[in-house]
Amino acid sequence: MKVKVISRSTDEHTKERSQDLQHSNPEKAVEYVRALNAAKLDKIFARPFVGAMDGHIDAISCMAKNPNHLTGIFSGSMDGDIRLWDLASRRTVHQFPGHQGAVRGLAVSTDGHVLVSCGTDCSVRLWSVPISTAMELDVSSDKSVEPLETYVWKHAFRSVDHQWNFDRFATGGAGVEIWNHNRSAPEQSFEWGTDTVISVRFNPGQPDILATSASDRSIALYDLRMGKPAAKLIMATKTNSICWNPMEPINFTAANEDCNCYSFDSRKLNEAKCVHKDHVSAVMDIDYSPTGREFVTGSYDRTVRIFQYNGGHSREFIIQRECKGCFVSSSAVMLVMLFLGVMTLILGCGRLKHPNNWEFFFQEKRKRHEYHEAVKNRYKHLPEVKRIVRHRHLPKPIYKAAELRRTMTEAERRKEEKRKAHSAPGSITSKPLRKRRIVKVEE
Amino acid sequence: MAETKRKTRDEGRRERSKIGSDGEVLGQDLYEYEEGVPEEESKKNRRFDPVDNLDYELPEDFEDENVSSDDDNEVKNAGVIEAEDEVKEEDEGRTIREIPSELLKIVSFANSECSYIKQCNFRVHTVISRGRRNNVVVSEAYPESEYNPTRDILEGEGALSIRDLLDPLQGKHGYSKLRKSVRTLEKKSAPIQAPLPKPVQERLERNAAYDKSKEELRKWEPIIKRNREAPTIYFDDDRDLGPSSVGTIASEFEPRTEFEKKIASLVYDDEVMDAHRKDGSRLRLELNKVSAEDEKDRQNRIAKMRSLLFRHELKSKHIKNIKSKTYHRLLKKDKLKANSILGQMDPEAAKELAMKQEYERAKERMTLRHKGSSKWAKRIKERGVDVQDDGTRAAIAEQQHLHAQLTRKMNSMKDSDTSSDDISEDDDMDVNSDDEGRASKLLEKAKEKTLKLLDEDNEVPNSGVLNLPFMERAFKRKNEAAAEEAKLALQEYESWSKQLGDSGGVNNPKVGSPSGRMVFDGKEAPVSSKKTKSDNKNRSDNYYGDSDSEDDMEPRENTDVGKYRNNDLMKDANTSPVLCQEDSENHKDSLVKNFDGSVQDPGPQTTHEVSIFASGTWRRLFQMKNGSDANANAKKSPGPLQSVVLDQHTQEPVKDLDEDSDADSEGQMVDGVLSAVPEPSYQLPSQEELIRQAFAADNVEDEFKKTKEDILNEENPEPEKPVLLPGWGQWTNVQKKKGIPSYMQKEHESAKKKREEAIKQRKDANLKHVIISEKPPNKKAQKLFTQSLPYPFTSKEIFEQSIRMPLGPEFNPASTVGALNRPEVIKKPGVIIKPIEFEEVNAYEKLEGHRKTEQNHQKNNKSKSNSHSRKNMTYMKTK
Repeated sequence: MKVKVISRSTDEHTKERSQDLQHSNPEKAVEYVRALNAAKLDKIFARPFVGAMDGHIDAISCMAKNPNHLTGIFSGSMDGDIRLWDLASRRTVHQFPGHQGAVRGLAVSTDGHVLVSCGTDCSVRLWSVPISTAMELDVSSDKSVEPLETYVWKHAFRSVDHQWNFDRFATGGAGVEIWNHNRSAPEQSFEWGTDTVISVRFNPGQPDILATSASDRSIALYDLRMGKPAAKLIMATKTNSICWNPMEPINFTAANEDCNCYSFDSRKLNEAKCVHKDHVSAVMDIDYSPTGREFVTGSYDRTVRIFQYNGGHSREFIIQRECKGCFVSSSAVMLVMLFLGVMTLILGCGRLKHPNNWEFFFQEKRKRHEYHEAVKNRYKHLPEVKRIVRHRHLPKPIYKAAELRRTMTEAERRKEEKRKAHSAPGSITSKPLRKRRIVKVEE
Repeated sequence: MAETKRKTRDEGRRERSKIGSDGEVLGQDLYEYEEGVPEEESKKNRRFDPVDNLDYELPEDFEDENVSSDDDNEVKNAGVIEAEDEVKEEDEGRTIREIPSELLKIVSFANSECSYIKQCNFRVHTVISRGRRNNVVVSEAYPESEYNPTRDILEGEGALSIRDLLDPLQGKHGYSKLRKSVRTLEKKSAPIQAPLPKPVQERLERNAAYDKSKEELRKWEPIIKRNREAPTIYFDDDRDLGPSSVGTIASEFEPRTEFEKKIASLVYDDEVMDAHRKDGSRLRLELNKVSAEDEKDRQNRIAKMRSLLFRHELKSKHIKNIKSKTYHRLLKKDKLKANSILGQMDPEAAKELAMKQEYERAKERMTLRHKGSSKWAKRIKERGVDVQDDGTRAAIAEQQHLHAQLTRKMNSMKDSDTSSDDISEDDDMDVNSDDEGRASKLLEKAKEKTLKLLDEDNEVPNSGVLNLPFMERAFKRKNEAAAEEAKLALQEYESWSKQLGDSGGVNNPKVGSPSGRMVFDGKEAPVSSKKTKSDNKNRSDNYYGDSDSEDDMEPRENTDVGKYRNNDLMKDANTSPVLCQEDSENHKDSLVKNFDGSVQDPGPQTTHEVSIFASGTWRRLFQMKNGSDANANAKKSPGPLQSVVLDQHTQEPVKDLDEDSDADSEGQMVDGVLSAVPEPSYQLPSQEELIRQAFAADNVEDEFKKTKEDILNEENPEPEKPVLLPGWGQWTNVQKKKGIPSYMQKEHESAKKKREEAIKQRKDANLKHVIISEKPPNKKAQKLFTQSLPYPFTSKEIFEQSIRMPLGPEFNPASTVGALNRPEVIKKPGVIIKPIEFEEVNAYEKLEGHRKTEQNHQKNNKSKSNSHSRKNMTYMKTK
């Protein structure tokens, strides 16, 4: 006789098998693989360089984007030429000849109808921006326009910026002047210190506040309502460019000569909110994305990097191998930067992505893309995904420079530590990096 | 004079510094540490030597009148004042020195310029106040003169006063005003400050401006906070990104080319538009003038088109009618089917149809068109079919097939005819005989059929699955069971026929035949043999005690046979197929011997289908005869089949058990269904035996050992044996002799040693009943974990929580997938993102705001600050 009983031994059924760990949460394994694939595909299809537009016969010194037109972009060059480009077709739509010397600043009014340019010929010119359509493309290249107004002033200009929503614009040179479209002399002029103002930026959210950076290593804030300068901050090195966060009017970011960018809260200038470091040479220019979540910087090391508004390190970088000089570098940087700025509008994402942006019009594709992004974002901490997402192939000179910088900072840190260890406790205090480069705050 | 002056200045300084320090104390934090008086000076307990204060000391009751005047300013910006003390000092000195000249100036110009006096007002006042302050200390150093008035002159009655200076101005323009202001000055002698130095002033202004702008910026805080905390921010306003409908496109259309302009001029003609706007009848009647020629033309055109259409229609109809052969064949088939169905519904029509078909068939048979007798067919035959092309061959084949079909039909018709003839004969016979006779005949027929079935289907397929031993065994058993069943049935038939015979005519030739040895042929032998076999198996006394005449007839012949068979059966339970076959052969031989050689042995070789058929026949039979019996039999008939199947199942696991018991149980089980024989008494085995039997096949220890070995092999795999690649190093005989090189062997041995050592060093090396897994962690699973806690997370739990729930559409309901995967920033392609505009955010409605942002995509109800009344900050809704 044989007895057959249904019985399951716990040993048999609780034994750990090789697949068990994955089987315990299969969805995690599945999503991990998806994240990995998404990261890889992102790498494969990343095409950051959208296009190059040639036409200028001298180095480009400044650029401006049209706030009211997606594909309009202006560029001014060292030979006094100003061009309006159509990004969609990548062609010059208009030219604005007239400047005798280099054009150093361009700005467009909020409605997109008036272009303001200034240059080393001590003149500010206002141009009316033609409404470009596809029909006119072919005819327009030789059509030249006369400036609406030409205002001549006492000194050469270095930069210009237009106030948001108003008729005013500010120029920077030997001093800071606030102009009105309709007046040949500046409405107001500010002077604080004697050095040249390098960059001027209006706060787009709070249009009466103005920030400037000058060659005396200072960053200054002005309030137009009081007609007075408000605060001044002196750093250890010069700030080449400055930009306000369009979505957070209290914050601005300064592109500094010491390879870093510093984000400040304009109400507390005694320390930076965040230090963005990755460049290996002076940061020449900076611009925020319209979403205020990212900004792009161009550096003398021929790279363009994209940073999160609160991220210490860059998220992406692009290199321009051809550009060598400062101007070329900075302008190329600006070019790509603005490209990106505009691409964010067109693509709907500020990422360096494959350019078939039409896929974002399809619900299904967009959904899938969102899912891939979400998964990638979730598993970005896992070693394999992290490696793929973060890996960038740096050109040798930049890689070496970065390494050198690292060793230098490390050595400095070690030295300080030792000094601290060998002196009376409390006698040597180290400042955090956010404060270290700030020399003083003037009132 | 100089000395005294210095002294006074010293004094003044001390005072001021005192004031300054006071002011400082007031201006600064209350909690600031204040240094107390040094202990030496407090002269406590006279512990310190008294030291004379050699410096000049102010009297105790000294009061400074100017404290209040200076205080206001100084307290306000104490820090600044202190730093600027030196400057001020100088300033003051200057003013003091300037007094006489100023006075002279006033005197000299008083007459001429009232306005100037007005301007000088404050200066005069300061002079006065300073003078008053200094009056105590002034001492004359110079002789009294017109230019140096004495103290008496200054203070006494002869002293010059402002009024004296003003008097001459009486009656002039602005005098009263001046006098009034002087009087007020005298009354509330409030001091007026000298303007601050420019850098200080600017600094103050800057500070104020900065404070103001800071305050202004504070309003953004809640908005920024909300945006930063929101899981997603939206920049996709509901905006028209272009013309959405055809109407909008059309409305924006502007004629550009010549043609378009022409069309537009016609379409947008005033009259036409007017007619459109009305009911449109005018458009149809008045404005729609057509010339006769045009109309003719149109009609012609239309006629032409119609004729073309008609032709086309005809053509298409014709084409539609052309159908393939297969189509027609299928159509025919369908028709036939429909007819047959119709026949079932309506018998008369069916009859007609049948007649028709019959006629057609007859016609076909007459003409034999398909027999290949046609000229064409003959010619093809002459030439040889193989030479022809595929089409012809197919046609020929079809003809042949049709012919075959027709002839086959004829055959089948013949069969049915004969059968019907038989029936008619039977009927004829039945006319004479009575009901019983018919019944007996039926029984006879049934018997015959059963026997026939028993006889046929002896061949066992010798290939495939059926050739497997257990299948064969099962097969055999089934056969036996079926045969038994058949036998039983036969027996029953006989009994019935007997009854019939008893009741009716005894001399029924067919029924009476089984009695006697002479008749013992073909039909009867198997029955009896079956009977005996079953009896033997049953071990019942039925065999001996049976009073039936049929059974009595062959006891002697069958006993040994039965025994023999019984043995055979017992062996059958677990013997090889070969043996089984032998058995059957033996069996056959013996049967042949026993039954005079003429007997056919149906027994064990019949298939189970026999039983099915048999049961089928019974059923038919008994349905015809009497319902109750038939039912009983029908119930019985599946019995043996089931038992056979059961047997087959039970047989296999019981191999280890006793043969006897096995056979017994089998027999019982079979019998349990077949015949109600009392079971032998069954005793329960002891508990031990039960357990032993239950776990007879389980060898736990061995299994464990084996699994442990497997695991060991897996974790420390055995080194592979060194093998040379086939053909490698075998070019010559010399190489062949060498064999596997020594280094390989060494390697192998060392690997073996290593393995052994590794096994020895395992933690479970000495533990016989334990397996401790020492395999490295799973690499695949390791990928899903991080080495360290990633940056923004502060604890492991939170991190794990954050990545616990899956995101994908497969793991989540469709309603939540979107929310889970939503990116941080949502933008719409082609929409310009404008910088932020101020909107009121209620800090207390934080949660609601969040919900709002998540659900309604946060329509930006931004309020835009009005541009020109900035200070009031009035807000207007823009959207």
